[in-house]
Amino acid sequence: MEALLGLGQGFAVALQPMNLFWCFIGVFLGTVIGVLPGLGPAATIAMLLPLTFNMPPTSAVIMLAGIYYGAKYGGSTTAILLNVPGESASVVTCLDGYQMARKGRGGAALGIAAISSFVAGTVGVVGLMLLAPPLAKFALTFSSPEYFALMSLGLAMVVLLAGASLIKALLAMLVGLWIASMGIDLFSDSARFTFGTTHLLDGIDFVIVAIGVFALGEVLGNMEKRGEGTLLPVPKGLRNLLPSWEELKACRFAFVNGSVIGFIIGVLPGAGSTIASFISYGVEKAVSKHPEKFGTGAPEGVAAPEGANNSETGGSLVPLLTLGIPGSATTAILLAAFILWGLRPGPLMIQDNPELFWGLVASMYVGNVMLLVLNLPLIPLFAQILKIREYLLYPIIFGISLVGVYTVSNSLFDCALLAGFGLLGYLMRRLDYPSAPLILGLVLGDAMERALRQSLMMSSGDLSILVSRPISAVMLFLAVALLCLPLFRKFNSWRIKAIEENG
Amino acid sequence: MKRLNGDLVSGAVLVALGVFVITEARGWNYMSEEGPGPGFFPLWYGIAMVVLSLVLVLRSATKAAPGARTDWGAIGRALLAWAAFAGCVALMQPLGFLISLALLTLFVVAVMYGRPLKIAVAAAVGNAIGFYLVFVLALGLSLPAGPLGF
Amino acid sequence: MLFIEEVNKMKLRSSFIIAACAAALAAAPAWAQFKPTKPVELIVHTGPGGGADVLARFMAQVIEKENLAPVRFQVNNKPGGGGLTAMAYVAEKKGDSHAIAVFTGNWLTNPLTRAEAKYTVKDMTPVVRLVLEPALIAVKADAPHKNLKEFIDEAKAKPKTLKQSGGSVTSRDNVVRQLLMKATGADWAYISFPGGGERIAALLGGHVNMMIIEPQEAGEHIKAGNMRVIAQVSDKRLAGFPNVPTIQEAGFNIPNVEQVRGIVMPTGVSPDVIAYYEDLFQRLTRTATWKKYLDDQQFQDGFMKSAELAKFMDSFTDQMRGILKEAGAKVVR
Repeated sequence: MEALLGLGQGFAVALQPMNLFWCFIGVFLGTVIGVLPGLGPAATIAMLLPLTFNMPPTSAVIMLAGIYYGAKYGGSTTAILLNVPGESASVVTCLDGYQMARKGRGGAALGIAAISSFVAGTVGVVGLMLLAPPLAKFALTFSSPEYFALMSLGLAMVVLLAGASLIKALLAMLVGLWIASMGIDLFSDSARFTFGTTHLLDGIDFVIVAIGVFALGEVLGNMEKRGEGTLLPVPKGLRNLLPSWEELKACRFAFVNGSVIGFIIGVLPGAGSTIASFISYGVEKAVSKHPEKFGTGAPEGVAAPEGANNSETGGSLVPLLTLGIPGSATTAILLAAFILWGLRPGPLMIQDNPELFWGLVASMYVGNVMLLVLNLPLIPLFAQILKIREYLLYPIIFGISLVGVYTVSNSLFDCALLAGFGLLGYLMRRLDYPSAPLILGLVLGDAMERALRQSLMMSSGDLSILVSRPISAVMLFLAVALLCLPLFRKFNSWRIKAIEENG
Repeated sequence: MKRLNGDLVSGAVLVALGVFVITEARGWNYMSEEGPGPGFFPLWYGIAMVVLSLVLVLRSATKAAPGARTDWGAIGRALLAWAAFAGCVALMQPLGFLISLALLTLFVVAVMYGRPLKIAVAAAVGNAIGFYLVFVLALGLSLPAGPLGF
Repeated sequence: MLFIEEVNKMKLRSSFIIAACAAALAAAPAWAQFKPTKPVELIVHTGPGGGADVLARFMAQVIEKENLAPVRFQVNNKPGGGGLTAMAYVAEKKGDSHAIAVFTGNWLTNPLTRAEAKYTVKDMTPVVRLVLEPALIAVKADAPHKNLKEFIDEAKAKPKTLKQSGGSVTSRDNVVRQLLMKATGADWAYISFPGGGERIAALLGGHVNMMIIEPQEAGEHIKAGNMRVIAQVSDKRLAGFPNVPTIQEAGFNIPNVEQVRGIVMPTGVSPDVIAYYEDLFQRLTRTATWKKYLDDQQFQDGFMKSAELAKFMDSFTDQMRGILKEAGAKVVR
C-alpha cells in the first residue's frame, strides 16, 4: 500500500515535462553509448556529472540513471550484428545473437533483446520498489564464502558452454583465470605476471580480451576466404526483421529466468551484470528441452542474458539506495553524484527524500517504455549494417574495435594487446577451442580468487567455512553437480548403447 | 601439404604455459600468516592446466585427428589480414588513428579483396572521415593524433 | 605552431632565470606574470568516476564558473599501473607549464613498493596541498566494543579472532592497524576488499568486526543506527563527531597517517608558473563552493604552498617507508 502511494507520488514527479525531457535525454544518450563499444556508462556519467550541478537533483538522477539502463539496452546491438560486445555483459549475447544474425534472423534477435530488456527492466524496477529493504538485508548475509560459491557455480557453467571437447573448454577457462590474475595482487601488493612492465600492473581490461577474441577472431576467420557478397543474409520485408511468434513463445521462460536471476544477482554488491548474464544463460540451457540448439542461434540464448543484464540495473540500485553501497563502477559514480548534490543514499533515503526515490522509480518505468519505443523502430535501420559489402565492413569493424579499446584507458599498449588477442581468437577458432569459457574464466577468476582468500583469512585457514554456511554449501553442491553432468551423460549414453547392443 | 596436428601443438604450448605459471607461482608466497598468499591460486590452476593439456597431447598423439587437410592458403590470408591490423596499430603512434585506419582500409580493399584502386581510395578516405565525424566530432573522444593534428 | 611557441618560451624563460639568478634579484612580483595561454591539462590517475577524477572535474567546473583563470581546465584521465602511468606521464612532460596533476597519498607510497616505477614525486614540482581526508574507526552498532580500548583489549585477549575489512595492504586502513598492533601488542586479522561498498557490506553483515571508514561514507549508517564510531583518525575532532576521541586522545600514541590530495606539475617550469598555480588554487579554496564541498565530503582544508608541500612530501615518504618496512612489505627505494 505504502509502495502504491509512493509510486503515485513518484509518477507525479516523473511525468513533469521537465523530468520527462531529462529522462529521454538520458535513455537516448545511454542507447548511443551502449551501441558504440568502449565508452561505457560509468565514463559517460562521470563526464556529464559537472553539467548536472545546476539541475534539480531529481532531474539529474533521472537522467543519469537513464544513461545507466539505456546503455544496457544498446549494448546488444553490435554484439548481435557484428559479434563485437558493446559492453561486458553483452559477451553472452554474442553467443546466440550473432548466430541468429548469421541465419538471417538478426532483426529478430535485436527485437528479442529489446523486448527481453523491456520486460526484465520493468521487473527489476518492480523488485526495487517492493522488495528493496528486505532484499538489502539478504544481500548483507552474503559474504566471501557465499561469493566464492557463486563464482564456483558460475565457473561450472563452463560445462554448458563447452562445444565438442570439454577438455578444450576447461583449458580455455584456465587461460582466462591466468589472464585474470595479471596485475597487482590486492592482498600482498605484489605484481603477478606483469613481465616487468607498468602497463600490466592494473591487469588486462576485460573489454580488450572480449573484443579481440570475439570480434577480431571472427573477422580474421571470415577473411580466410575472399567473400564477395555481404557478410550475413539480409531478409527482405519488415516482417522478417521482427521476431516471429514461435521465437517469442520459445523465450517465455527466458524472460522470467533472466529477470529474476538478473535482479537477485544485481542486489549482491560483489557480483555484477556479466555474471548475471552468464548464469541465466547457463540456467536457460540447463533446463532447455533442446540444449544442443544453444550456440547455434537459439532465441532463448539471447533473451535470457539480455534480460538478466537489464534487471540487474534495478537490483544494483537496491544496495545503492537503501544501504549506500555501490556494487559496480557505474553505481559507484552514481553514489559520487548523489554526494556532490548533497544527498546521502542510505537507510534513511526513502524516508528523507521520498520524491527523489519514488520519482526515480517511476522514471524508470517511463524510461523503459521510452527505450522500447526508441529501439524497435531502429532495428530495420541497424540491420542495414548487414548490407555493407564484406570488404567495406571488415575495416569498419577493425576501426570500431580499435576505438572501443583505446577509449578504455587512452593507451596504445592496449591496442597492441588487442592485436594479440585477435590472433589468439583466430587460432582458438581454427583449433576448435570455444571462446566463451575464456571470457568466463577472465570475468570470474579474479573475484573467485579474492573470495576464496578472504574466506580463508576469515576462518584462519579453515576450509570448512566454505561448506558450513547453508547458502554457500547449496551453491557449491550445485556447482559440483553441474561439473559431474557430462560424466553422467557419458555414462547414460554408454548405458543406452549397451542396452541397445544387448537387446 | 602435411596435416598439422593442432591439438598436439596447442596442447604442448599449454603445457609450457602451465609449467611457466607453476614456476612463477612457486616464487610467491603460498600461505602466509594472514591467509593464502599470491601463489596459492596460480599454483592450482597451473597444475590443472598442465594435467589437462597433457591429456590433450596424449590423446591427440595416440589418436589420428579426424578432419580435412590443413588449408594453408586460407590460414595465410587470415594471418596476412592480422599482420595488416597489427601494422595499423604500430602506425597509430607516428601517424595517428585516422591515417592508420585509412591505410588499413586501403590494404584490405585493394590487396586482400582486389578492388580497383579508385574504389579502395574512396573507401579509405570515407572510412576515416566517418570515424572522424562519429567519434571525434560527435562524441568528442580523443584518439591518437598524427603529425597533421588528426 | 604551438610547439615552436613552447620552445621559444622555454628558451626565453631559461635565459631569464639565469639573468635573474646572476643579479640575485629578490623582486618576486616581477615573476608573477605567467598566465596560461591555452587550455590547461588536468591529469588524474583514475578513470572517469574515480575519487581523484571527481575532484578534478569539480575543480575544473569551479574554476570555469567563478572565472578564476583565463583558460579552460581539461581533465585528462591516465589510468593504469596503480597510478604509475599518470606519474610517468607527468614526469615526462618536463617544462610544460600547461599541465598539472591531482596527486594523492598513493603517489607518495606506491613507488616505495613497486620496482616497476620509473618516477617518484621527486621527478615533479609540488604546487599545492589541498585537502586532508580524516577517517573514522567504526564497528557495527550491536558490537560489544564501546570504545577503541575495549576493541584492543579483546584483540589482545583473543588474538586473531577479530577482523577488520579494508583495502590493499599498503592503504591507510592497514597502516593504522599495523601501528596500533605494534603499539599495543594486540593482534587481529585484516581482510582486503577492492571496493568501499564491499568493505561496508562486510561490516554491516557482521562478517568482520571493525573498519576504517571515510566520514561521509559512514554518515548515513551512523544516523540510521547501524554503525558506531569508536575513534577518529584525525589530528583534531571532526565537527560532525564532537564526542568521539581521536586515536591519540583515546590513549594510543601512534603517529597520524594523513590521507592527502593536492596538485603537482612537471619539473623544469619557472617560479612564476608555480606562483601562478599556487595563487589560482588559493583563490579556488577561498570560494564558497569549495568550502561547501569540503563540508559535504567532511574533508579538512589542508592548503599548503609549494615549498612547504615539498617538505611535507619528504617527511610523509620517510614515515611511510618506515611503516611499510615494519609491516613487512617489500620496500624497494
